[in-house]
Amino acid sequence: MRSSSSFHPVAEGREGAPDGAVKGVVDRPIDLVGLLAAGHHPAAGAVVLFSGEVRESNLGRAVAYLEFEAHVPLAEKMISEILIEAKAKWRLSVAIAQHRIGRVGIGETAVVVITASPHRNEAYNANRHIIDRIKHEAPIWKCEHYQDGTKEWGNNCNCQAVTGDMMKHIYETER
Amino acid sequence: MTIHVYAGLKDYFLPEFELTEEVGNIDQLRACLLAINEQAAKLLAACRFAVADGFVDSTYKFKAHEIVIVVPPSSGG
Repeated sequence: MRSSSSFHPVAEGREGAPDGAVKGVVDRPIDLVGLLAAGHHPAAGAVVLFSGEVRESNLGRAVAYLEFEAHVPLAEKMISEILIEAKAKWRLSVAIAQHRIGRVGIGETAVVVITASPHRNEAYNANRHIIDRIKHEAPIWKCEHYQDGTKEWGNNCNCQAVTGDMMKHIYETER
Repeated sequence: MTIHVYAGLKDYFLPEFELTEEVGNIDQLRACLLAINEQAAKLLAACRFAVADGFVDSTYKFKAHEIVIVVPPSSGG
């Protein structure tokens, strides 16, 4: 018997994953409304949705678009593990995360995290934890394409410069 | 051994290439990659390594003909 993180039929196989779960990485626009519908649960009094979206500027430079690349099998495996851990730690009713790869335009969603729990504190805290770990640990990379025609690979995670260990991240000691 | 690189590493290496040298562990692989392009030193120092869809640490012994993924620091989201 398969267990599901969500009771809502929208979550059941909408992305075509073999186990019916929401896919962690997609190469097309993220369906925020559809995924939010999958975030509802009869045991949850709180649903938190975080949408990471593309800004029009980065460090004062005009951005044209972002392009995301991933090692998809490894990224999906890590996202799944992060969700399972968070769901157990905060006793979540629902935990969903999806990252887009390929070209993502200004104002479009690059990543979404949805958490649902009986009370809001757990949903907020778990959501922050999940997005931090995805940004810092999952093998997903962004390339900033600027309006002036130049491009630059992102390098968000420089935690090892502080922690001295590339597997230890700053946010692990923040809370 | 087949090497796959991603993101900023593609500014220094082909996305996929074969290493004919015998490489036993991560330290030897880093040295080998630096010999190909020493300009990648700073980025390589921050990279993780994975095989068969799982990360490996410095104690891992590479097998012959293994596919190794060189993973730069993440920058998703």
